Amino acid sequence: MRENERRIFVNTCKHRHGGSPDPGSKEVYSFLRGVIMTKNLTRRDFIRAVGGITAMAVSGDLGPDVFAAQKRMFQFPEKDELILLTSRPPNLETPLHHFKKRVTPNKSLFVRWHIANIPTSIDLKEWRLKVGGHTEKELLLSMDELKKFERVTYTAVIQCAGNGRSFFEPKIPGAQWEHGSMGNVTWTGARLRDILNRAGMKSGAIDVSFNGLDTGTLPTVHDFIRSLPADKAMEEDVMVAYEMNGEPLLLLNGYPARLVVPGWYAPYWIKALNEISVWPKRFEGFWMDIAYRIPDNPCACVPPGSTPQKTIPIRRMNTRSLILEPEDGARLSLKKPVRMMGIAFSGGFKIKDVIVSVDGGKNWREAKLGRDEGRYSWIQWFHTWVPSKPGRYGLMARAMNGIGESQPFESLWNPAGYMWNKIEKIGITVE
Amino acid sequence: MNMKILLIFTVLFSSVLFALSQDRTPNATVRSIHLPDIRTDLKPGEGREKAESLCVICHSLDYIPMQPGFSKAQWAAIVNKMIKVFGAPINEADANLIINYLAEKYGSKE
Repeated sequence: MRENERRIFVNTCKHRHGGSPDPGSKEVYSFLRGVIMTKNLTRRDFIRAVGGITAMAVSGDLGPDVFAAQKRMFQFPEKDELILLTSRPPNLETPLHHFKKRVTPNKSLFVRWHIANIPTSIDLKEWRLKVGGHTEKELLLSMDELKKFERVTYTAVIQCAGNGRSFFEPKIPGAQWEHGSMGNVTWTGARLRDILNRAGMKSGAIDVSFNGLDTGTLPTVHDFIRSLPADKAMEEDVMVAYEMNGEPLLLLNGYPARLVVPGWYAPYWIKALNEISVWPKRFEGFWMDIAYRIPDNPCACVPPGSTPQKTIPIRRMNTRSLILEPEDGARLSLKKPVRMMGIAFSGGFKIKDVIVSVDGGKNWREAKLGRDEGRYSWIQWFHTWVPSKPGRYGLMARAMNGIGESQPFESLWNPAGYMWNKIEKIGITVE
Repeated sequence: MNMKILLIFTVLFSSVLFALSQDRTPNATVRSIHLPDIRTDLKPGEGREKAESLCVICHSLDYIPMQPGFSKAQWAAIVNKMIKVFGAPINEADANLIINYLAEKYGSKE
């Protein structure tokens, strides 16, 4: 294992080496890692990986062990230092300051996988995208063939359904994301519609399902398969993307191809896509019927701690805004203009306006919007004001989209912790 | 020896060494990464060994300290979901041990 991949960056937490790990669990862990690795790597890679693990075990250098739930920074292959939530499967969060850029660089984009065997090696000579099911013919597309479809490009926010989960009260099990499981990326690929038309959807198609190369470690672990209603799948902007920001996708973000469903939450954006199936009936599967569901009511919410009577699959993103400058807790000097900036986005409808408050929500002013990058992209907003007296100020921002959807003052609780979009409030001190 | 020849030899020799040290990928169509091996040890306590050896079958242990601290009933619901929904091979005795351990060491703060 290469040294640079094993370096750990520790921010605010305690960090200790060695310890006295239970030998049993160490063996199981190494064994499982070996099994996982053989799946995707060559024999030589496997030997090297096992050798690395053995060497580490012998030297007692098993990497850091960290008890605390505090933030750990870690650099995964092809990535910047990101906030490490979990390592297997990898779940990595983008620190907020990266969102000051209009477009999120590939190496800064968050990483989110559900099941542990993720593809770490892809041979484009072997990889094929299979398209079939309720279709006139079955396609087996190579990357070259995929690239022959008309090329489309747009910028779209990708956001986890559980982005912001850690802020809900009462607390909710799952990946404890703050605001960083999102990003704004320029995607390029082929229209899903063009691919489905090439295969020829038969009449009576109901759903289209999408599977990627990731699998669970046990046969009982539900494969991560998701579906779209057939009419959604045929919408113009749904894409099989093979580039992010003009480069091939990163392995951790779904190389060689992933689904992009702009405006809808990221669980639909299947990574390392290799199978598309058209269904003449409703697709049934754990990740559609049990997971990723929200209360079936207009707010997608229930009283905190309670269980909804009826649920539906989570789909379109709600409207959100974030304050990126100044930072929460900043101390600023009196009589100097305070420059506020942030971002706002919604599930496929333009941001109509962003209003900001510097007095904890009593008075509101309209912020100036930045360049319009299209209805799926986030937009930057700016507001400058000169504080007249020293003290503490509560800064807030609230976005509204083109169809009047906005943000609530109180969080809208749901049992899985999805769709966090409460108006954020940060505190600064002027002195 | 002529310095020029020596220099040429040095350059040639280093190039050969460099080439040999490179990982020669058999074909350029393969793209790979190596995931880092990151270890998280759980807090000492009765049941830790079971939690460490069984939970890790499906996911890294950092999933546990990441959680904000749950009641015993909530931890029981999580462990039972792993068994019933995802098929984690954990028998009832081990499940109880793990639930007690998690509630004790990673329980609600109150």
